[in-house]
Amino acid sequence: MSISISKVEYLPRSRRRLLVTFALTGYPVAVAVLAGLKHTSLNRWLIVAIFLALLLPTLASLCVGYWYARGRIDGRRARLDERDLVLRQQSYALSHRVLAAVLIVAAAITEVYLTSGNTLRLDANTVVPAMLWVIVYIPALPSLMLGWIETDQPAEASQLADA
Amino acid sequence: MPEHQRRVYNRLAVLRAERGLSRKQLADKLGINYQTIGYIERGDYNPSLELALTIAELFRLPVEAIFGFKPMTPLSEEIFREPPPGIR
Repeated sequence: MSISISKVEYLPRSRRRLLVTFALTGYPVAVAVLAGLKHTSLNRWLIVAIFLALLLPTLASLCVGYWYARGRIDGRRARLDERDLVLRQQSYALSHRVLAAVLIVAAAITEVYLTSGNTLRLDANTVVPAMLWVIVYIPALPSLMLGWIETDQPAEASQLADA
Repeated sequence: MPEHQRRVYNRLAVLRAERGLSRKQLADKLGINYQTIGYIERGDYNPSLELALTIAELFRLPVEAIFGFKPMTPLSEEIFREPPPGIR
């Protein structure tokens, strides 16, 4: 999926939603694959290559999501009108709901895992991926949610971009 | 537009075309982004009361002539509509 930087603003919602889904699921999938392959006899460099192949498109999707919402989520655009402010508020509200859902699901999975007689060792292998998730996703969530909720731009606006 | 909101119809596109204004020109007069005009025209965004009144003021029309809960009929039809029986 190739996207020119100048066209990011005019991406249709279906494509934006695909990118958001990819951005949100790519990292957990990459970490899970890495954890699964680590104890196999597979070549170490091949494992790293698979991990990067999953991670780099995720990072690219995150960048597109950030670029789409740039200046609107952080309020750095000189003139945010009332629709921008409403969208920003909706994006933050949706981010909060998504974050709450992720935390509840993670807590539930951990609870089930621990009550099934398993033990969870807190070391760099478990804490670092979780920390990276927090560092990467918490700041990016509102931008991604804006890309998720905003409807397609009206025709005339897209034509202006083509001119 | 959130599902709990009622759809607000408008004749903004007609009025804008009538006065030969582009979305950008109208947006500049109203102090908003030009995309917002497109979203309002398409019914994807309901303007605030303040913005609706500012638009009405700009076009020198009552706000209900521009925005309403029922689909807009052509202005010419409203002007030349036969009065109901009993009203002269």
